[in-house]
Amino acid sequence: MDEASSRIAEVTQASTAGFFAQCYELFDLPPLGSLIKCRDGENEILAVTCNASTSSLEPGRRPIARGKTELTEEDVFRSNPQLKQLLKSEFEGVVLGHSFNNEYYHYLPPRPVKLHSFVYLCTTDEIAEFSRSLEFLSLLTSARTDIPSEELVAACIRFISACHADPSTFTAAAGKKLAQIFVDDYPKLRTILLRLKL
Amino acid sequence: MNQKDSTKLGVVVSGSLSQGILARLDSNTSVEDITVGHLVTIQGNTRRFFGMINDISLETSDPGILLTPPEAGEEFLASVLRGTTTYGTMQIVPYLTLGSDESLIEGPQPVKSIPSHFSPVYLASETDIELVFGKEGSKNFFIGNPLDMEVKLCLDLPEFVTRSNGVFGKSGTGKTFLTRMLLIGILQTDAAVNLVFDMHSEYGWMGTREKASPVKGLKQLFASRVSVFTLDEKSSQERRVSTDFVVHLGYDEIEPADIELLRQTLNLTDQAVSATYQMRQRFGQKWIEKALALESDGETEDVLKSLNIHEATFQNLIRGLNVICRLPFTSPHVETRAVDKVLEYLQSGKHVVLEFGRYRDITAYILVANLLTRRIYSRYRENTEKAMAENRPRPKPLVITIEEAHKFLNPAVAGQTIFGTIAREMRKYNTTLLVIDQRPSGIDEEVMSQLGTKITCLLDSEKDIDSVLAGMSGKSGLKSVIAKLSAKQQALVFGHAVPMPVAFRPRDYGSAESYEQFGKMPAVSDSQDLEDLW
Amino acid sequence: MTLDLNKVAGSIASMASELAMQSSKRVDALNAAIGKFENPGDITLLKQRLAQAKTSWLLAEISGSLNQRFEPLELPPDYLVIATDGSQIDIDRHHPARCCLINIGSIYLQYGQNPASMLESEPTLFSSPEELILKPDGGNPGREISIEGPLLGIKRTVEEFRYLSQLARKLSAGLPALALVDGSLILWGLMSKDLPDFVVDSLLDKGVLKYISEIEKLNSQNQLALASYISFPRSTDVINSLRMTVCPHQVPDCDKFCTGIASGERPCDIMAGVVDRELFWACLKNNQRSDVFISQSKISKTRYGCNQIYFFYIKTGNEIARVEIPEWVACQPELLHITHSLILDQCHKGQGYPIALSEAHEMAVVSGADRQNFFYLVDEYFAQCKLSTLTSAKSASKKNRWI
Repeated sequence: MDEASSRIAEVTQASTAGFFAQCYELFDLPPLGSLIKCRDGENEILAVTCNASTSSLEPGRRPIARGKTELTEEDVFRSNPQLKQLLKSEFEGVVLGHSFNNEYYHYLPPRPVKLHSFVYLCTTDEIAEFSRSLEFLSLLTSARTDIPSEELVAACIRFISACHADPSTFTAAAGKKLAQIFVDDYPKLRTILLRLKL
Repeated sequence: MNQKDSTKLGVVVSGSLSQGILARLDSNTSVEDITVGHLVTIQGNTRRFFGMINDISLETSDPGILLTPPEAGEEFLASVLRGTTTYGTMQIVPYLTLGSDESLIEGPQPVKSIPSHFSPVYLASETDIELVFGKEGSKNFFIGNPLDMEVKLCLDLPEFVTRSNGVFGKSGTGKTFLTRMLLIGILQTDAAVNLVFDMHSEYGWMGTREKASPVKGLKQLFASRVSVFTLDEKSSQERRVSTDFVVHLGYDEIEPADIELLRQTLNLTDQAVSATYQMRQRFGQKWIEKALALESDGETEDVLKSLNIHEATFQNLIRGLNVICRLPFTSPHVETRAVDKVLEYLQSGKHVVLEFGRYRDITAYILVANLLTRRIYSRYRENTEKAMAENRPRPKPLVITIEEAHKFLNPAVAGQTIFGTIAREMRKYNTTLLVIDQRPSGIDEEVMSQLGTKITCLLDSEKDIDSVLAGMSGKSGLKSVIAKLSAKQQALVFGHAVPMPVAFRPRDYGSAESYEQFGKMPAVSDSQDLEDLW
Repeated sequence: MTLDLNKVAGSIASMASELAMQSSKRVDALNAAIGKFENPGDITLLKQRLAQAKTSWLLAEISGSLNQRFEPLELPPDYLVIATDGSQIDIDRHHPARCCLINIGSIYLQYGQNPASMLESEPTLFSSPEELILKPDGGNPGREISIEGPLLGIKRTVEEFRYLSQLARKLSAGLPALALVDGSLILWGLMSKDLPDFVVDSLLDKGVLKYISEIEKLNSQNQLALASYISFPRSTDVINSLRMTVCPHQVPDCDKFCTGIASGERPCDIMAGVVDRELFWACLKNNQRSDVFISQSKISKTRYGCNQIYFFYIKTGNEIARVEIPEWVACQPELLHITHSLILDQCHKGQGYPIALSEAHEMAVVSGADRQNFFYLVDEYFAQCKLSTLTSAKSASKKNRWI
């Protein structure tokens, strides 16, 4: 993946623990739980994707159904070419760690990402390297998001495991780590684990 | 001492010296692989501890799991929970510790401390076992393998025979096999001479095995060093046992003390027992013959009156004496006394096995065992005292093996019988007991507490287990080990001759290969060595 | 405590019942109008009367037949719609800064095989005297007219057409296209007698008409139509013309014959109160348009020249709309067809109102918050340049409400 094609969005709101980003292409959203990164000089801030949404650009205007007389869903956009200008796809990134001097740290960076930072998809190698230590799970599991955090955790582990040579081993290790984190919250642990497969 | 070679089981999480140490199993240690009785080492900061697992339990950090446990098909969930939210713990009793360089020379010492938090727990390695129990050698006799291990577990037999010992276990758990092995060990290491009261004729010649072909007896392995005496020549001949001597008892060899021990089996009243002493006094050595003669002669009444014996008491006694006299191996007088013969053999270093043949009647066994032992013991005592006085080497230690020991050592009679005396006096006169019993609770507490080393197979009565463990530290831990021994081929040894309790699988006996191993004579019978020991 | 609706509720109720009482009269009037519309008698005669009539009302000149209806033609496979709309922030006389802002929303929509769209808004600040004050060319410097209030509205319309002509230049040639604006093509606001001629000249001749002509020049292949769309029109041009059919006088002349007669009593008052859209709601089927009429408005007649304004009514399904077109569109059947079918399509896509116009409005709209932010920004920059930001006491008292 070259740099241009991995650049998918731009930060529109940022805080220490996460950021919102708007996609350059409508509907071109990174999947739930995938890892994305923003640059901050030489260093990078890594985050997990969640809360993706496509909605009206303007808060006051709600999209309405338009396809009653159209044959296909594509025809809706053919007949209403303005729609792509009026909608936006955006998502939230929950910060899982950062890199400093080419080394990954699984805790929050000293500063949030800058507004209008470009958001890139992480490469498989980066993800495998970043997730060599399972410490990132503590930030992941404590993320406050609109979606149930169990869903985010499970999706993220599924996504990351696919980037490892041996996904089962990774998933099993992550499961054990989760059990330590949720030592006093079995229902949550159970919900997550039932969403994972070895 | 490379711990990486051994399997790490878990880490210490809590515990006390009195209650034992609690270790949490590592997540990759299956709780199913841990068994009670396993020996473990704990690597503390400055010292190593040796202990035994005596309990295993399943724990959970979140009781919620118990409400919605993983269902079938949720294997991943289950596998994650295993070892994390739900985990196994093991209770370990520490026995020995090996710390500074000093104790490396002295060997493992009894524990006086416990390992610190999170000390790793390993399965004891073969090196550890050899360090603690010694290598097989001239003194160390290989008795079996610690549970689930290949290493040879050894027993220091010269040390073993310095005290009276016991072999316990429910019937059918392998007491006889264990005993036979110990006897061979004593023979091989030349630690002592044996006198075996072989009630079921299992040690001298052919021994029986449940559901299998018979196994060889001592005489078959060590023909020249073992002599078989028999009470029942006919039986011995039928079984083609080459006997060295046929034992007959003369009435005049029987003392009132012998009768007293038979009080219960002969159903004698207290008065009848005391009457025997009066009669012995009155009639001298031939008191039984004379007492029996009273019956027919008519002067009875006068004699009894003069002895102040009630008629009913007398009848009670006569009934009892008749039982003895009806035993086929008794007669009014015998030319060659069995006691002399036994002593003669023993003193010449030969081991004696006395077969009872068909006379498995407990009366016969108690009578003969008691009678012979008492005389042999007193002779041994004399010899020993003489040797001490003249500063000569003492006679070779003697180990007397008795079965159904609770008949001789129950609280009612232990105070009086010779066996009680031997057990209590310990090694004073170079004579010790090897007590074999299936009901240790029937044996007098004091005697039990004097037994040096106890080897026990499975016991399932709480009372029996309690009595075997009486006086042991860490008793509750060992209790579960004993109760969980398998019904066959497993035993726990603890006490004087072993540095720490250990559960083991007795070595194979009965195959051709095993006979070859067992039949080996001691390389050099070094009497100097023995002397040093005593 | 602001508006107390309780106090006005009674008046609202009587207003509603008054209207209800009049409704039967209105039905009669509407039926009369429909009757005359369907049977106007001799059209040529009517055209003559209309031409001669001197009325107090605005008449619609009949260009073809009065009551012919037209079905839309099929949509071309590929076509374009462009539209602009604007809004403004007027000069705040309570604010130290004399400036105003016009925000124009431009919409470019391409339909068909290669759909595309462009939605933009472009704000322009007017603050220099050259921009804010109209002066006659080299004439009397004393006559100066400041662009604010209604004039700013007209200025905004000029801007809308300017952007529309710019958009039109970007159109890919060879495709049927419609340029749309909201409201009337006729700048009624310039008809005030108070306005000096140089103002009309500046805003109309050098403004709207210039840009309309530019658009016409782009219409080399008879494929670019220009139209304005008036939703819910209140115009009565066609009804007024129908009144002429019932006028008993040879040459209708209201001032001459009917000055003494009260409203409602005059012979032609049988169709009083009816507006064009009610007539055409009854007389048009869905998607149909009326015939084309010529606006008799003075400014159109006298000033628009070749861009003289024509109009027709169209039934979009939701409402009757008035569509105004310059003469060059009205006289080209192809352009008329494009106008008719594309406006209908736009209305269908826009839930009853042309989608391009509604998006243009969305792009252009300046909300109250925007207005506040604008002045906040002005204050910021004034403060940075150490300019006075003193506001009027009235404005301050509105901002800081106290008890």
